[in-house]
Amino acid sequence: MAFIVGENCIKCKHTSCVEVCPVNCFYEGPNFLVINPDECIDCAECVPACPIGAIYSEDDLPEDQEQFLDLNAELADIWPQITEVKKALPDADEWDGVEDKLKYLER
Amino acid sequence: MSILKKYQPTEKAQAFLDKVENAKYDRGIITGLKKYIDKKVPEDMQGFYSEEELQVLIDLKNTDHDIEARMPVKITNHYFQIAKNSKAIQTLVKASPKETFDLDGAPDPGNQMSYSPIEGLIHKYELGLIYVINTCSAHCRFCYREELIAKKEILREDGTIASKGLAKIPELVDYIQEHNRIVEENGGKHPETNREKLREILMSGGDAMVLANKNLAGWFSALADAGIESIRLGTKELAFYPDRFDRTFFNMTDDFHAAYPEVQLRVMVHFNHPDEFLQKDSNGDYIENPEGGLVWIESTKRAVKELADRKYITIENQAPFIKGINENPDEIRIMQRELKRNRINNHYFFCGRDIIGHKAFNLTIEDAWKLLNDSQKGLSGVEASARLSITHYLGKTEVVAVTNEPMPGVPGTENGVVIFKLLRGAADANNKGQVAIVGRNPEAIWFSGYEDRVIFDEAGLFKESMKTTSRVS
Repeated sequence: MAFIVGENCIKCKHTSCVEVCPVNCFYEGPNFLVINPDECIDCAECVPACPIGAIYSEDDLPEDQEQFLDLNAELADIWPQITEVKKALPDADEWDGVEDKLKYLER
Repeated sequence: MSILKKYQPTEKAQAFLDKVENAKYDRGIITGLKKYIDKKVPEDMQGFYSEEELQVLIDLKNTDHDIEARMPVKITNHYFQIAKNSKAIQTLVKASPKETFDLDGAPDPGNQMSYSPIEGLIHKYELGLIYVINTCSAHCRFCYREELIAKKEILREDGTIASKGLAKIPELVDYIQEHNRIVEENGGKHPETNREKLREILMSGGDAMVLANKNLAGWFSALADAGIESIRLGTKELAFYPDRFDRTFFNMTDDFHAAYPEVQLRVMVHFNHPDEFLQKDSNGDYIENPEGGLVWIESTKRAVKELADRKYITIENQAPFIKGINENPDEIRIMQRELKRNRINNHYFFCGRDIIGHKAFNLTIEDAWKLLNDSQKGLSGVEASARLSITHYLGKTEVVAVTNEPMPGVPGTENGVVIFKLLRGAADANNKGQVAIVGRNPEAIWFSGYEDRVIFDEAGLFKESMKTTSRVS
């Protein structure tokens, strides 16, 4: 099992999860973060660290976000690792909770 | 935006940290029972829990006896490969309804919160234990830190209730430096606790070796710069995932040693049973190595050799005796012999603690003593260095001896006595070496079992009742 970054991270990217991850398994794209499922050791520290509740355990992943399971694995292979917190994206607050954000995902 | 205070590494530390490389590890972790229930585990794991076993566990879900709420279920692929051919290891790692039959036990075993001056640090003895992570690659069912791993809320010294948090570098460094300053200003002893300088920190959790190399390196250099001379690394990863001890890890420790040559690494490993590191033939027997000793699992052997070959690293094994896992003296004898041959010192064996559900796991104190004593019959002195320890709230205590003969003229000793000795006072270093003698109770699994038969108690182990183990003093 692993933890999965879900849709609400898109266009927000607060990165507070990165700093609490003990195994540095977050990877960064232009407007989204992902967890490498092979490296995640299921400690659950990142879940409360995310200010907008975008991270789920595999068992709790909402059904309409199931595609994020593969998406996390796929993008973690391509994107660079991120180990330090940076500023959230400029319009993060406005994008928090907006539905159907997947179409804005930049690779 | 981070609310955490940032720690600024020294120039020397930064030069070391810049060289550290993280690697990827495919531990093949399976967490939770749901994957077994939904048949989403790899094919060779499908039968690890039988349908009947799963049904019993499902029926307990969301009740007071919920097995996963007591302790999350987790295994690596490496450990599964061992477990599938070992009854003992299955008992160690598979969830069982026995765990919650009796929920007696302490929410904060060892009363750790009374020894926690800052979040994530337990300052006991002359040692600081820090929680650097709240999980391991796999989970032992008998875990002594189930409250941390399962993120249970516990009562704290200030009356608030919260789960135990992890240590943070800046706060810990401040604490160490402040403690050591006070000690130095007072002639080498802390005026209130008699403790000496903090020279040693045990990185624990959870398993320190699940941290990425960069995180480990951050801790190592910060601790070294704070004046720590020995860093202990508490880990069961040699059993769960020995490939974690890879080239990138040793490059990091070698670079650390080059930068901080006077800082020792003491790797505290955790083998409960020889099945965790020895190969077995098709009959389930260990295999003789014609060159001497027994044949090890290759990846474990390599990892141990790499560790032992480094002169700044020492390796110590410590493990509890647990019902159904390691109660055969012949197996414990083989384990002690093989570990020492491979340059792992036999440090402690532990009696069970009073964790929630401990009655499912604990051997009686007298059986545990007999087990270690029997296992050491036929071992040489250097192989038989392990002592049997039981953690009293006052400090680490040795179960020194159990006698079969009465002490002439002393009432209460008709069936023999048990002798305890305080190895290290948790709060006050002065207590070391003090003894308590009690009449035997073959049923006792905790100090409370001897409260009614105390003969001599210089150590004060029985001054306060240990029956209500849930108190926070």
